[in-house]
Amino acid sequence: MTGALLISFLALMMTGIPVAIAMAGASLVYILLSGASPPMVVVHRMISGIDSFPLLAVPFFILAGNLMNNAGITNRIYNFALALVGWMKGGLGHVNIIGSVIFAGMSGTAIADAAGLGTIEIKAMRDHGYAKEFAVGVTAASATLGPIIPPSLPFVIYGMVANVSIGQLFLAGIVPGLVMTVLMMLTVAYFAHKNGWGADIKFVWSRLLKAILELGIVIGVPLAVWGAATLGANPVVATIGAVVLLFAADWKFKFEAVLPIMTPVLLIGGMTTGLFTPTEGAVAAVIWALFLGLVWYRTLTLRMLAKVSMETIETTATVLFIVAAASIFGWLLTATRVTDMVSAWVLSFTHSPWVFLLLVNLLLLFVGCFLEPTAAILIAVPVLMPVVTQLGIDPVHFGLVVVLNLMIGLLHPPMGMVLFVLARVANMSLERTTMAIVPWLVPLIGSLLLITYIPAISLWLPRLWYH
Amino acid sequence: MIRPPSSADTVVPGDGTSAPVIDAEGHFHATDAPIDFSHYLLEDWLALAFFWLLGLNVFYQFFTRYVLNDSAAWTEEIARYLLIATVFVGIAPAVRRTRHIHVDFVYRLIPARAGRAMSTLVDIGRVVFFAVATGLTVEMMTRMGNYKMTVIDLPVNIVYGVCALGFLAAAIRSVQTGVENWRRGFSLLERPEHAIEETV
Repeated sequence: MTGALLISFLALMMTGIPVAIAMAGASLVYILLSGASPPMVVVHRMISGIDSFPLLAVPFFILAGNLMNNAGITNRIYNFALALVGWMKGGLGHVNIIGSVIFAGMSGTAIADAAGLGTIEIKAMRDHGYAKEFAVGVTAASATLGPIIPPSLPFVIYGMVANVSIGQLFLAGIVPGLVMTVLMMLTVAYFAHKNGWGADIKFVWSRLLKAILELGIVIGVPLAVWGAATLGANPVVATIGAVVLLFAADWKFKFEAVLPIMTPVLLIGGMTTGLFTPTEGAVAAVIWALFLGLVWYRTLTLRMLAKVSMETIETTATVLFIVAAASIFGWLLTATRVTDMVSAWVLSFTHSPWVFLLLVNLLLLFVGCFLEPTAAILIAVPVLMPVVTQLGIDPVHFGLVVVLNLMIGLLHPPMGMVLFVLARVANMSLERTTMAIVPWLVPLIGSLLLITYIPAISLWLPRLWYH
Repeated sequence: MIRPPSSADTVVPGDGTSAPVIDAEGHFHATDAPIDFSHYLLEDWLALAFFWLLGLNVFYQFFTRYVLNDSAAWTEEIARYLLIATVFVGIAPAVRRTRHIHVDFVYRLIPARAGRAMSTLVDIGRVVFFAVATGLTVEMMTRMGNYKMTVIDLPVNIVYGVCALGFLAAAIRSVQTGVENWRRGFSLLERPEHAIEETV
């Protein structure tokens, strides 16, 4: 009887009914059959499952990212990336990766990247004579950065399920994101070297120096505020002062992308210093994006705002519908002791955290192929968490491992979901798309192994900050 | 979220399709996609109204906390209720567009006829679920009677009523989607690429 709930859910999910309905439906059938509670408990639990203030972060993180996804800001970011790395050999490959890093920092869900921005990136690379395979491979691989580099919707959901600080998870994603960036750029460099590719734009010192200066400002401003605060200045006053100076400088020097790239800096800075809760941080990011779009750059119209809101509602409703269903389903799983059984079963054959993490890697790569990441987190993490605690694995580190696995699963042949999307977007056969992605599994799986087996990559920054 | 491209894509390459995305000076030229509101229906606009009320409420709360140093207690409760309203009303449009998160890889492994049968069962199951959920929510509302919200002196049934309405709208849209799938002889579960072909 106890296993019936889990099995009926899995069976329902495989039919293709929405995952949320599979969860809530299996719970409803279980409650009807067992007669333990009145059936209306199902809807009551579902509604109260999203009656939570921290969950308000979800729509606003999504909205902030969507607000940045317009032509005005996109062009600025790619111009910045072109200036920074476009002159290298295999330039547009590097631009693609740096562009994804920046978009990852503004959006919580950036893998719309694979479809939305992906079409632009692939078109730009095709214009410059790159093979479709290379364009598709680098686009798919760099899209995995989205949820690793903060802010990140999967981290918000993981933090909620595993009861881990979202600020710590966000900080923990930074170094792994950089490790992945470096490994992917090395892969581009390898392809460029092997095929004898040249640069895509002319090397102009002034343009590169301006880009480096902009990067320096993005890194320097938070350091300056932090320095002023440690010297005894009021942090709020210092922040406001810095922001005013920033806009004055932007008005004078016409920076390409300093202000958009500042979004994650403000947000993570605010959250880790305790100035903002995650929800307030998300709201602050929305205010920032609205100000840039409606007032400063004037690239956003009210019609676009309405459309972006519709998009945000769709993503919010689909993700939180699963959160709602997971709250009744998870409650029943715990009540029927299924989670205890699973952890006892796992612990019966291994007590080594390393073996367990390896098994988790294999399991989640598989799950990630056909299940959307936030849904997979809501299903798998509550079941795995007791074992994680027993084995003494840091839940922040585990969060990184889970999310990265699920992201790689999305493009892992033979059936990752992104494969199918990209095959359509690029108008290639599935076989060709698979072959295009295979070389990129080397840096991705490499990053996964590094991040899984060297916990310090994830934990160094949050520990440095919080201790 | 990994989704096929759709009306969702706000940015498109170049102006039109033939002009290069990057010009000779190395500057990027993406343009905003045209905006079309015609496929949004009543429940979309209702969800939008709840969402923008939520946004205004949360901005007001942000303002009172950081500028006036005193946040009003009612804003938090209203924010939670508006989030619930946005989500439960937002379920129906996602049903209409088959955008709920689902798993469809099984359909690539089984014969077409079996897929047709299974996707028909899914269409029926979806209607049954939303109909039952509407009924259960209404039942819960009758049990709740005159329960009040925590801070505000209003019946909590306003919130549950909106949820019931959302479930009802989702049930109706499920019927419509099911009928449409039946008429054209396939659902997006069987042919996920159809969603992309419509928009690309």
